[in-house]
This record gives sequence, structure tokens and C-alpha cells, in this order.
Amino acid sequence: MKLGKILATTAMLTLVAGMASAEGSKIFVIGGKPDDPFWSRVKLGAEHAGKVAEAQGGSVTWLGPQNYDNLGPDAAELIRQAIDQGADAIVGPDWVPEAMDPAFQAVVAAGIPLVIYNAGGIDAADRLGAMNYVGAVDYKSGYAGGEYLGKAGHKNGACVNTLPGAANIEAFCNGFNDGLAAAGGTGSVLQLPATAFGDATAVAQAVRAHLLQNPTIDAMFAIGDQDTNATISGIQQAGKAGSVHVCGMNFNDSILANIQAGSQACAIDQQGYQQGFFAVSILNNFVNYGVTIPTREILTGPGVIDASNVELVIAGVQAGAR
Amino acid sequence: MPKSTDRHTHAFSVGHLARRPEAGSLVGLVLVYAFFAIMGGAVFIGAPGWSSWLNIAAEVGIVALPVGLLMIAGELDISVGSVIPASQMTAAIVSGYFGLPILLGIAAGLGVGLMVGYVNGLLVTRTSIPSLIITIGTMFGVMGFTLGFAVLIAGSTSVFLVPDPVTKLILGTFIGGMFNVSIFWWIAFAAVIFFVLHYAPIGNWIFALGGDRDSARNAGIPTAALTIRLYMLSGFAAAFVGILQLMTYQNAQVATGQSFIFNSIMCVVIGGVILTGGSGSVIGIVIGTATFAIVNQGIFFSGLDPNVGSVIIGALLLAAVLSNDGFRALALKYSTKKG
Repeated sequence: MKLGKILATTAMLTLVAGMASAEGSKIFVIGGKPDDPFWSRVKLGAEHAGKVAEAQGGSVTWLGPQNYDNLGPDAAELIRQAIDQGADAIVGPDWVPEAMDPAFQAVVAAGIPLVIYNAGGIDAADRLGAMNYVGAVDYKSGYAGGEYLGKAGHKNGACVNTLPGAANIEAFCNGFNDGLAAAGGTGSVLQLPATAFGDATAVAQAVRAHLLQNPTIDAMFAIGDQDTNATISGIQQAGKAGSVHVCGMNFNDSILANIQAGSQACAIDQQGYQQGFFAVSILNNFVNYGVTIPTREILTGPGVIDASNVELVIAGVQAGAR
Repeated sequence: MPKSTDRHTHAFSVGHLARRPEAGSLVGLVLVYAFFAIMGGAVFIGAPGWSSWLNIAAEVGIVALPVGLLMIAGELDISVGSVIPASQMTAAIVSGYFGLPILLGIAAGLGVGLMVGYVNGLLVTRTSIPSLIITIGTMFGVMGFTLGFAVLIAGSTSVFLVPDPVTKLILGTFIGGMFNVSIFWWIAFAAVIFFVLHYAPIGNWIFALGGDRDSARNAGIPTAALTIRLYMLSGFAAAFVGILQLMTYQNAQVATGQSFIFNSIMCVVIGGVILTGGSGSVIGIVIGTATFAIVNQGIFFSGLDPNVGSVIIGALLLAAVLSNDGFRALALKYSTKKG
């Protein structure tokens, strides 16, 4: 009787211990819509890191909004869902601090390890008491472009700002000018009027006019993939192909083709795959083994794509990771 | 020799010139060009400067011409802003994503424009809702469908199309490396619409429609059919600009085109068309478009802050409306004197 009780208790304890180790970590990732091209890469990175978690008996669950119409409150609701479903760790972007910070505070208050990624920066992570921030920084993306062109020997740069007043675009351009200055060049901003936004012809013609009036410009930075294509067209129409070199934010198939053909010097990628992969890995390792990453602010970007690595990037695109 | 009833006769008297609807716009064009010629210097006066503003003028001009016809007929069309991305996205999905023949893609893109125009025309003629509201509605509707279908079918908000050399040559090339082929399409559109408004009988119907719709209908003009056709023309023209941009930049995006809404209306108003309808000319619309484009591009040659360009365009718009009133008063005075 007594022996039986001991045996039963031992069996119970073994079972509980076994269950605990078999359970692994339940990680919830809040992100964008899965059919959004950028977020599909973040999701793939999270899923790949999730394979390790699954091998250890854990799981990774992706929570994304149906649409972006009511982003802040919807994302805050997803964070609370993750808490309710018994998350062992949570990853989330701080898109709209006003709406989402209270939900993140609830995560930390419940003692659930938290990593902020993609948006918010290390400031948001510090403010909320999160373990870390994983993502790119707009200023540094611009800086990388300026530094790349400056080191290639170009002296006079212009950042094409098609959205004057937007904080992230200003950060790209400030970064570009500082990066170029650090490499010994000087940068300026070509500011377009609001009537030009989204109109490739208007952007191309503005670039062309600016180059004709400022013949010493030999480097340009564009803030998005469509603007990059328009900027290259403007350079060609000014008869400056080959003497004015372009770097631009983000990339698509035509930009990779341009880099291969040599009409674009570089593209700056914030590498969304890395954001999903590292945020999940950091939390999985912490929950299972208590190991930490003491480096604060894990930068996933800027990644520079140029002629030297474009083939590898194209292979990454085919795999859905870039 | 010149008959006073003949609108097309070019008489060489100052009085006659001042009475033409585009007289005020012409003065504006000359002043603006002179200003930027002085500020911009040799580069702006030369071929690079001309191609620079002509490239801008051509695309907005192709949209402004039929929008101008609609405004002469007393209607507005806001939906052009989303027909441009809808047509290029349709063509890029058909020919780029599915790899079907490029002619099929172009036809599908232009078809989208005609269809949106038909729906606009039908709603404007069958309901009593102002065309401003109807076309704002269709603009948002088309924008939503474009975004939805692009993501659903191609999985992306931007789709690529590399046209064959012949298509590229006809629709998306730069002559001499600087003059976009769209300039010739603009000239072609202007010539056809000039004939329609000022020589074909339908032209008088359009003026009558804007002057007094009920009288026009009582006079036997098929007002509903005419309105629908005008909307289909503006849908077609916007779709055509979408195709031109697609062939030039080889890339369709769902967010492009919104700037054409106000830009086309401004070109038409600077060109002397009256918002209430019944008055205006194709030459005026062409002049208004050129003026708009010269300010837009001249600003980059002048070294002024680009925001000044927006201020100048705003001022021109007000000046155009004010001077139109002045010139119209003058014209009425002259014609009453003549009896």
C-alpha cells in the first residue's frame, strides 16, 4: 500500500517532468498579414526557427491581422490572445505604441518573456521591459547606402525624397548624407513636391532636371523600389548612365536584374527573414535553457545587395526567404 | 472673309484674339515660360528642358483632354486616378504574370478603362447623384479591386512586365534618349479630340450639354448616350496612360496614379474651361497642360525650393479663373458692340 503510493507518486512526478520537457516552449509571434510579401518572409524565418522549437517539443504560432485598417487595436488584441492561450514567450512589433503598449505591458506583467521586433527600436524594448529588439533602423539603412557609394569613390550625392515630412523617409535621407560624408563626400536632398508622389514619370523628370542643373552629382539614393526604377530612368534620360550611381531601399525582380546589368549599384534590404528567425530563436533558447543574448538591439539590416552577392539573393528569393 | 459666327477662323486682330476662350491661358503660358527661361537658363531653353516638361505634359495631357470634354459638358471624373493603376496592373498580370500575348494584356487594360467609364456614365445618367460623388465612389471601388486582385492573383502589390522591342518602341521608348514617345500620343489625342469638339457635330452637342442639359435633351440631343461615351473616353485615356507608364517603367504598382486626379483638373481649369460647363477649347486645355508642366519641371531647373512650384500652380489656378471671367466679360462686350 505504502510502496504503491510511493510508486504512484514517483510515476506522477516522472510524468509531470516528462511532460514539462516534452512541452517545450509555446511561442506566439504577432506580425503582418501572411499574404503581405514582406511579412511572408518574416513568417518563413519564424517557421524555420520554429523547427528547432518543435524538435524540442515546442511550437510557434503566427498571429496576423486580417487587414491593416485598424492596425494598432487589432494587433493589441492579438497580443492579449497570445497571453490568454498560455504563451511561454511572445514576439511582437511596436507599430502603434499608443494602442499596443498597454498590451505589451500586460505581457511583461504576466512574467512572459517578450521580444520587440520590426518596429519600435531598442527604445520601445527598454520602455516596455522587453528582452531585446530585433530589426532594422531606417537611419542606418540610409547610412549604409551613403557609405557604399562614398567608398566606391563618389563624392556628390542626392537623396530623392518623394515624401517630404515622413519621419522614416527623413531618416533614410539623413542617414544617406551622413554615410556619404563619413566616406569623404557631401550629400543633399532633392525634395519633390507633393504632386509627384506615386508618379514614376514625375520622379524621373525631376531627377533628370536636377542632374542637368547639378552636373557634379555622381551618387543618388531612392527611398523605395519603384522610386529607384524611376530614378534610374531619369539618370538615363539625362545621358548620365554609368556616371551617376544609385542605391535604393528594398528590392524586387527588376531591381535585381538592374544590379546584375550594372545599372544600379546597390539595394538596401532590411532582411525580414532574419527578424522572424532571430526573435523566435532568442526566446526559444531562453525558455528552454535560460541562455540569453547580452547584445542589445539585434540589427537585421541593412543588408547590402550588389553585384557581388546578387546571385545568392536571387536564390534566396526563389526559396521565399528574400 | 472671316465670318463672325465661325469659331475656327483665325483673325489677326487683337480684339478677336482676346475673345478666344484660351486667350487668358496663352498669356499665362508666355509669362510662366519667360520666368523659368530666365531662372533656368540655357539648359531649360534647350532640348533637355523641352523634353523634360513635354514628358510630364504628355501623360497628364492625355488624361486632361477627355476630362476637359467632361467638364465642358458639366461633369467631373475623379476615377481616372485609380483607372491608371487598374489598367496597368491588369495588363501586367495578363501579360507579365500569366505570360499571355502582350496585345491581349493591353486590350484587357484598356477594357478596364472603358468598363469603368461605362459604369460612371450609366450611374451619372441614371441617378441624380452629382458626378463628383459618383466618380469618387468608383475611384475607391476600383482602387480596392485593383489591390485585392493584385494580391490575390500575383501575391504582390507590384507586378513586372518586360515588353517586346516593338511594343516598347511604340509605347514606352525615349526618342533621342530624352523625348518620351508619349508626347506623340498626346498630339494624336489632341488632334482627334480637337476635331471632335470643334468640327464634328457632336462637339456642339457637348457644349450644349454643359450649357443647359434639359434644353439639349429637348433639342433632340441623345444626352445620356453622349455622357456615357464621354466617360468611356476618359476611362480609355486614363487606361492608355497606365499602359504607357507600364511599358516605360516595366512595373505596375497599385498605388500609382492618384496625382493625376487634381493635376488633370488643374490643367483643364488653367486652360480656360469653366467648372460649370458650356465653355472651353481643346487648344486651351493643351496650353493649360503645357503651363502646368513648365511650372512643375521649371522649378527643378530654377534652383528654387520645389514647394514654391506648388504655390505657383495654386496661384496660376486662381489667376486663370479670374482672368477667364475678365476675358469672358470682354468677349461679351465686344460681341454686343458688333451686334
